[in-house]
Amino acid sequence: MDSNKKYWKGLEELNKTPEFVEKNKHEFAEPIPIEDVLTGGGLEGRTPRRDFLKALGFGVGAVTLAACQKVPVHKSIPYLIKPEEITPGVANYYVSTYDGQAILVKTREGRPIKIEGHPSDLLAKGGASAQAQASVLDLYDVTRLKNPVKNGGDAGWAEVDDFVVRELLAIKAAGKKIRIISSTISSPSTLGVIADFIKQFPATKHINYDAVSYTGIIQANQNSFGKAVLPHYNFDKADIIVSFAADFLGTWISPEEFTRQYVSNRNSKSLESKKMSRHIQFETGMSLTGSNADVRIPIKPSEEGPALIALYNAISGNSLAGSKGLNNKVADNAIAIAAKELLAAKGKALVVAGSNDVATQVLVNAINSLLGSFGTTIDLDNPSLQYAGNDAEFVEFVNDMKRGDVDAVFFLNANPVYDYYNKDVVDGLKKVRLKVSFASSTDETAALCNIVAPNHHYLESWGDDNAISGYYTVMQPTINPVYDTRQAEQSLMKWSDNPAKDYYTYVRNNWDKNLLAKGGLSGQSGWETLLQTGSIKETVKTAGTYTFGRDLNAVAQTILDHSTALTADNKTEIQLYQSVALRDGKRANNPWLQELPDPVSKVTWDNFAAMSPSDMKKKGLQDGDVVKIEANGYSITLPVLVQPGQAQGTISIAVGYGRTVVGPVGINVGKNAFPFYSLRNGTFQTSASATLTATGENSPLAQTQTHHSIEGRNSIIKEATFTEYKKNPAVGTGKGEGHKEYPNLFWQKYERPTYDWVMAIDLNACTGCGACVVACSAENNVPVVGKDEVRRRREMHWIRIDRYYSFNDNGQGGTTKETDIAKLEDLDHVKVVYQPMLCQHCEHAPCETVCPVLATVHSSEGLNHMAYNRCVGTRYCANNCPYKVRRFNWFNYWNDSRFDNYLNNEHTQLVLNPDVTTRFRGVMEKCSMCIQRIQAGKLKAKIEKRPLKDGEIKMACQQTCSANAIVFGNASDPESEVSKALKSERTYYVLEELGVQPGVGYQTKIRNISELEA
Amino acid sequence: MRSFSLIFKQFSRSVLLIACFAFLGFSAHAQGDAAKGEALFKAKCTSCHKIDQILTGPALGPQLTEETDDKYLIKWIQNNQALIAAKNAKAVAIFNKFEQKSMTVFPELTDADVTNILTYVRADWKTEQDQKAKGGATPNGQPAAATGPSNTVILALFGVIVLAFIIILVLNRVIATLERLLLKNQGALITEEEVEGPVVDRLAGLKKLAKNKKLVFFVLLCGTLALGSWTWVTMWNTNVHQGYQPVQPIKFPHDLHAGAMKIDCQYCHSGAYKSKNASIPSLNVCMNCHKVVKTESPEIHKIYDALGYDPQTQKYDSTKMKPMQWVRIHNLPDFAYFNHSQHVKVAGLKCQTCHGPIQEMKEVYQYSPLTMKWCIQCHKRTNVDFKGNAYYTNLQQVHDLLKDGKPVTAALMGGIECGKCHY
Repeated sequence: MDSNKKYWKGLEELNKTPEFVEKNKHEFAEPIPIEDVLTGGGLEGRTPRRDFLKALGFGVGAVTLAACQKVPVHKSIPYLIKPEEITPGVANYYVSTYDGQAILVKTREGRPIKIEGHPSDLLAKGGASAQAQASVLDLYDVTRLKNPVKNGGDAGWAEVDDFVVRELLAIKAAGKKIRIISSTISSPSTLGVIADFIKQFPATKHINYDAVSYTGIIQANQNSFGKAVLPHYNFDKADIIVSFAADFLGTWISPEEFTRQYVSNRNSKSLESKKMSRHIQFETGMSLTGSNADVRIPIKPSEEGPALIALYNAISGNSLAGSKGLNNKVADNAIAIAAKELLAAKGKALVVAGSNDVATQVLVNAINSLLGSFGTTIDLDNPSLQYAGNDAEFVEFVNDMKRGDVDAVFFLNANPVYDYYNKDVVDGLKKVRLKVSFASSTDETAALCNIVAPNHHYLESWGDDNAISGYYTVMQPTINPVYDTRQAEQSLMKWSDNPAKDYYTYVRNNWDKNLLAKGGLSGQSGWETLLQTGSIKETVKTAGTYTFGRDLNAVAQTILDHSTALTADNKTEIQLYQSVALRDGKRANNPWLQELPDPVSKVTWDNFAAMSPSDMKKKGLQDGDVVKIEANGYSITLPVLVQPGQAQGTISIAVGYGRTVVGPVGINVGKNAFPFYSLRNGTFQTSASATLTATGENSPLAQTQTHHSIEGRNSIIKEATFTEYKKNPAVGTGKGEGHKEYPNLFWQKYERPTYDWVMAIDLNACTGCGACVVACSAENNVPVVGKDEVRRRREMHWIRIDRYYSFNDNGQGGTTKETDIAKLEDLDHVKVVYQPMLCQHCEHAPCETVCPVLATVHSSEGLNHMAYNRCVGTRYCANNCPYKVRRFNWFNYWNDSRFDNYLNNEHTQLVLNPDVTTRFRGVMEKCSMCIQRIQAGKLKAKIEKRPLKDGEIKMACQQTCSANAIVFGNASDPESEVSKALKSERTYYVLEELGVQPGVGYQTKIRNISELEA
Repeated sequence: MRSFSLIFKQFSRSVLLIACFAFLGFSAHAQGDAAKGEALFKAKCTSCHKIDQILTGPALGPQLTEETDDKYLIKWIQNNQALIAAKNAKAVAIFNKFEQKSMTVFPELTDADVTNILTYVRADWKTEQDQKAKGGATPNGQPAAATGPSNTVILALFGVIVLAFIIILVLNRVIATLERLLLKNQGALITEEEVEGPVVDRLAGLKKLAKNKKLVFFVLLCGTLALGSWTWVTMWNTNVHQGYQPVQPIKFPHDLHAGAMKIDCQYCHSGAYKSKNASIPSLNVCMNCHKVVKTESPEIHKIYDALGYDPQTQKYDSTKMKPMQWVRIHNLPDFAYFNHSQHVKVAGLKCQTCHGPIQEMKEVYQYSPLTMKWCIQCHKRTNVDFKGNAYYTNLQQVHDLLKDGKPVTAALMGGIECGKCHY
């Protein structure tokens, strides 16, 4: 049985808008101006004989000159004294830490060029997020401060030190307050330095301030159990997960770790043992997590609280005072079913909520306590230290400033002028005598400081981290500081007259004294071992069980009050979220992240107001229409985007955009939505009610997904429900009865005796996060093209994550004809499937047969090779590619002033992988299956005189995937992991009927929707 | 002149040799065998000592002239550590003088061996002192010139010949004119009208040939073919820089190092075994030898200058370091990937296969064309050596089946596929 479900990439395709149809009719998306040249005066225009002769003369002269060029002189400059560990041409790997996660840094000739996950990392076990992958580019950011700044002018370190110390002593004498504001610091040594600073200046207080805060959870745990901690969640131990707006696969607390845990109950291995977790998501905007859920129920922000109360009531059997049903039948139904399932899975259930509201989180604690989650899926005794921000303390600090009580403030990786919800910070800062920022490039806050003491990039720094209680990682520099910067800790030590001579000594002492012993190490050898392994783990404490015993009626009342406040004037409700690529906006100057499409909306280089299709219709808006959004006395204008699955009567806006003081990449990209935050009961709230007015303008968004049409084909995505799968594992793939065999009429069969490189991608493991896209860009020197070029459909990514929508078919067989779709109005309940799409390395590749110059040919190892130096740029191959994975170089992206902001910069180009050619204008490119890695792997085996091991060669996309959705290997070896994966009953090939025999096999998406008819 | 200097050189050498033998003959009986001593000295001592100069250890000439207690010296050389441990006053003094750097122990040297060395060093030092006293004549007494005619000399000679030829021509002309004048005066000159006849005839012959259409066609065809093939060859060789021999910042003679001294290529180009780059050696590799060898050469001083090294104090000054900018000779385009270790370590190719007779090159030039045709030809002709490499075990079986024992070339293994070099 072939799938008869209807999939569509975007609403344009679903509705067959005239523009979409028109654009897809043509060979090229944009017309080529050849007609203009041939008609519009191009041929009729007179070319005077003299001009012709001039051109001819110049041409001949130029060619002659070019031909008699001498050999270009290339200088080759070896090391004067070569460091022993460096061999030019061979990469070295060093362990370090990114955001508390152990990583490996690949360096070539002393330059870090790529971040890779550390296989023994506790959190992601070898995976790395898009942010971690992109962080290496920040090192080469030309807008980083090159020296300290004093009162807006360049200064030397001695001058700055002198000034700061004098000021600090004066402030100490006057007895005024000193504050250190930082985003959460989990590094034990940094905390030690700050503690020492406080000893020297006792009027100092260190305040953790996170732009996106988790104070609500910490405070709720304090209120519920007397433990002010952020718990460590274990999604792998949960058979059922109910999430209320927590985007735990995308942005919430520790997404890489949660992805790994979550997928471990849903991947091939788990499915083969007939086990799959169940995931129900209640949320407003379509998040990455929601789009992966088995059941997703759109609810308004104001319904979140009441829904949780309803769930509590259903589980406990009590009824909290004031609780009433939701005005939402689907949600009511879903809550009843969720409650039933949660109770059935007691001890293996987990309820999480993304809210930063203390009352909401107390209620969640109560529910989890009833379900016996504490001690199983929630661990309060080995807490997460990734976020410790305290909203109330920061607000207190702002008030102190406004009163003029604070005389010195230090900002470490914190930018409240940008991400605090109101302008009080700006007013307050005016009254502070000494303002110091450690920002490594000027940001909104640093611009208002009298001293900027630029911090090292983390790849230039010594340090450590402690993301989860008992898990310590070390950070070591992989390059000498590029500019005249100084590590913030070093500055603090200098200013507080710390006895340790530098921060490295401090870290060493700290580890020698306090930390090495925890991992069973000691002394110099222990330190050296640590620098090789990267982390130590303490024995895990047994997670205790906690029982919630407080009265909930007051809590319920607070929640309901909040809900009423949001709905009071019947305006549109705003939900603020972090985008998966940019998160809180601190990395706004990173072009790799700006160009990474948002997983769901596929929008790049912008934020937008996501709105449900029915609201759009009601308001008469089109995609890209700019609306003015007003709430909490602040207003911004943003283009709207139709988002199926968005709760009606709401819009979702991503924070982290609209930076005003930042490098040229991130400046004025999107609008700042942080001011829509509000403070309630001591924590920042991410929802508001707003009025929307159309401005009449239109600003088209740079979306990548709508660039190709799937032409109504139904053999791209295949999925099945878990119930069906249990009966017949091959369901949905089209195998078995009624399966059409596609005879191979034209092609001879090739022998692949030694290697046949293939890939298997598990659609049930892929969450669509996009880390692979950035990893691929970093590995293969994929250029960044910018917003305008993306709008022209010229993005260069070799791997893309296609997002397909489909309707709930309730197991009824779904829609069979296109006409049926129009009848379905239920765009609120769409299903989403993600599909990583890259060159399929077809055995009978259609691109190869149309290339007039044989620039793309097949190898004996089953790969589709692309010889750039042979390509003449006819683009026939791209047209003939059924998967639309070929990319054309419209410009010399690495050497064109139009791309100055991105990669056309000598300094930025140091990040390039020297083993991969940078492509020049006019040639085609596409996924090479990381052939440089294949060749390097084979060579290593040859040098070591041993056969190649399975799994030794890893693709960049595969390596970074925390979900392990991608398996690469040799299909000629029946024992290889990929051969086994492809033997899975779930395997199918995209557009199999074309007979091109792709080398990439996909495994069907399985949804666990057996028990719920939502 | 040159032959004279040669004769002189040979003569002086033989005189010196005889003198040496005579000297040795006299001294051998008395103390030890200086010739044996010299061999031993070169094998064991030269890495740390010079006779006339302080190196890692003291300058042995003056040191051994001062110290005459041979028994003590023998003990010291055989095992200096023991002497120091026994707190021998002299031993401790010298040990402290040289910053407590301990000297290698030579238990394998017999007393006779050490005596031989001592004899050699003292004799050598004495000869040197004597010669200095005589007035700075170089040991061989040989003038430091005349290695062969230089380019300028050749040019000058050539110029002289040309000049002479011109003079002869002019003189001939003058003589002919004079003769004619003489004949005219005598009234015996032949009238010039008779000369014009044959000139007209010659032009007529050409005109006649031009009217021969077959011939004209043939000539034109040949011309076109010649021009065409010249264009063809030129086009094919655009950017092929075979024979490219740029001037390098240091006149490094490969013929001396790789040829005469037989230093292994990988000693300096250590990357060739493990990396894609053979790599130009860093200057600290040069210093392994040139801290001691040829320290006076101006070319070696370029190394010292680049490293900020002071040969007197033997100290490096990192502030004076400046990079050495060599000119790359073998330039592959950026879109072609080449890996040395694949060819040198795995395939076991000799460097000379691609780089030519490096051991004979005074200045290195590009020996091979480095074109893709050249790469592919080699890949098609070279058999893969499976022996002793377990990597090929699985692959070899398959190929054996395929080829019935026929040789397997690199091309058959996929070595001429685009993606093997272009990515």
